[in-house]
Amino acid sequence: MTPLLEIDGISKRFGGLLALTDVSFNVIEGEILGLIGPNGAGKTTMFNCIAGVYKPTSGNLVFTRDEKSLRINGRKPEKMTELGIARTFQNIRLFSALTVLDNVRIARHCRTTSNFFRSVLRTRFQRAEEKEIVDASMRWLDFVGLGHHALADASSLSYGDQRRLEIARALATEPKLLLLDEPAAGMNPRETRMLVDLIHAILDAGVSVMLIEHDMKLVMKICKRLVVLDHGTLIAEGGPKEVRENPQVIEAYLGRGAAHA
Amino acid sequence: MNIGKSLILLIVAAVLTYPLVPQSSDYIIHVMTLAMVYMILAMGLNIVPGFCGLLDLGYVGFYGIGAYTAGLLTIHYDMSFWVIVPLAALNGALWGALLGAPTLRLTGDYFAIVTFGFSELVVLFLTNEIWLTRGPLGLPGIQPITVNLTWLNEAWYFQFYDKTPNFYVVALLVGLVFFIMRRMEDSRLGRAWYAIREDPLAAASCGVNILNYKVIAFAISAAIGAVGGCFYARWSMFLSPDMFKFWESFLVLCMVVLGGLGNIKGALLGAVILVCLGEVLREVLTSLGLPPETRFMAYGLIMVLIMRFKPSGFFPAIASSGRSNPLLLDLQKRLAARNAPKDEARDAAA
Repeated sequence: MTPLLEIDGISKRFGGLLALTDVSFNVIEGEILGLIGPNGAGKTTMFNCIAGVYKPTSGNLVFTRDEKSLRINGRKPEKMTELGIARTFQNIRLFSALTVLDNVRIARHCRTTSNFFRSVLRTRFQRAEEKEIVDASMRWLDFVGLGHHALADASSLSYGDQRRLEIARALATEPKLLLLDEPAAGMNPRETRMLVDLIHAILDAGVSVMLIEHDMKLVMKICKRLVVLDHGTLIAEGGPKEVRENPQVIEAYLGRGAAHA
Repeated sequence: MNIGKSLILLIVAAVLTYPLVPQSSDYIIHVMTLAMVYMILAMGLNIVPGFCGLLDLGYVGFYGIGAYTAGLLTIHYDMSFWVIVPLAALNGALWGALLGAPTLRLTGDYFAIVTFGFSELVVLFLTNEIWLTRGPLGLPGIQPITVNLTWLNEAWYFQFYDKTPNFYVVALLVGLVFFIMRRMEDSRLGRAWYAIREDPLAAASCGVNILNYKVIAFAISAAIGAVGGCFYARWSMFLSPDMFKFWESFLVLCMVVLGGLGNIKGALLGAVILVCLGEVLREVLTSLGLPPETRFMAYGLIMVLIMRFKPSGFFPAIASSGRSNPLLLDLQKRLAARNAPKDEARDAAA
């Protein structure tokens, strides 16, 4: 079976710094893939390459949708979103002056088409589309459990709710692959439990998930497969148990000698 | 209907009927007409710094382009005002897109400097291309606005030398621009702009093509500025390059900031306040023996005070956008209905 996303020998260089060196792995449709590693390992750089924020220095990204494989490296973020790769950010980036609903409505941008003339004339098409945008947005807000806050300001939400709103916004672009950058950061245990349920629900909705997370308990619980980066290179790949016992991984997290202790 | 809304409607109605009162003064009508010209400009400029969050210091350039387009087309081709308005808007949009496409990749201050340079270029062009614009001599003898309805009735040919009909023409244009702005504000286009203003990276990851939408914003803003210039040319019947100096851009920007960046009503209010203030200061300053140009110092002072005491203007931001949209009102009702049983249950439990 062809993987949903094939990451083939990706390197990313910032001047003299090699942030990623020849990293290759696959994302398979319908899985939750965990991307872990110590701070500064290049996890977010990897996400930014996949999401189109950075252009990889070398290597290939191949995305498969509807049986068609496309080489996607170097495309702009909005093109990636259109293709079906959505993301959330490590430090929350909501449109905080706007309402919760507007945040999600903006995400419908890439799936709608009304232009200046249609908006000014309010054609039948535009009105139908606006209605569809509100309905779809409400569907995704209810999906993450924020429906009743729809008309509140995004900045008035609690931290955990803001994280979930970011997920709703990403889902509203109708992705095939969702990249979550530390979704559980700063959440309390109850919110983290809700997040686990939410991620499973996302998977059931037919969206594959790739996530960066430092909460190892969470990662080991929900990911069937893990990829470990350290200093920009891939050091291990496999199930949670294998990875946990891998001496190289233990060394990366705890330092040299820890594996023998 | 609430009292605030009725009061606003009453004021608008009073202002609109004022020129029909026999005792009305020509001077007041003139000031109101000028205020409405600036309303058009302030609404148009609002799109770029207000909706998209880009500082534009060269807006007067598009105003000048619109005015000279109208002036030259009237003098050389004797075109009707109603044909010139869309042509001037298109010309403004063209120059907006031409300037915007290469420069909107710049961010913040760099972009502001480029727009400033552009408006100076427009003034230099108007001053030096004497074959086209007659340079510093100006462009006199522009015909006033006409309405030609002779195809309905032989006698129906009107030429608006008088203040009153011009007042209604510009009121019509203000209404039209306001209508367009309100519809853009609450649409896919407006939301894309707010997204860019709030967070460009997040906007891109929602699928908004940032550069395209900035160019669209710039072009529409320029088109509205050109429409304002177009009326100005036919109303004042004389144009000269020094009408389009940098100060005008600054004045319109002050109006937008005073009213509240990104708020359409704020732009209208800002225009009224600053135009009236300009008239008052002209009297006061001369009676104090100061040259009228010192009024710009007063504008500067106002900006400082606004930044200190009301940094987001009289009407803060766009938060009200689309709140009156029937879709959202409907949603509000549904949400209230959904939350109601919960409240009842809570009350029962208590």
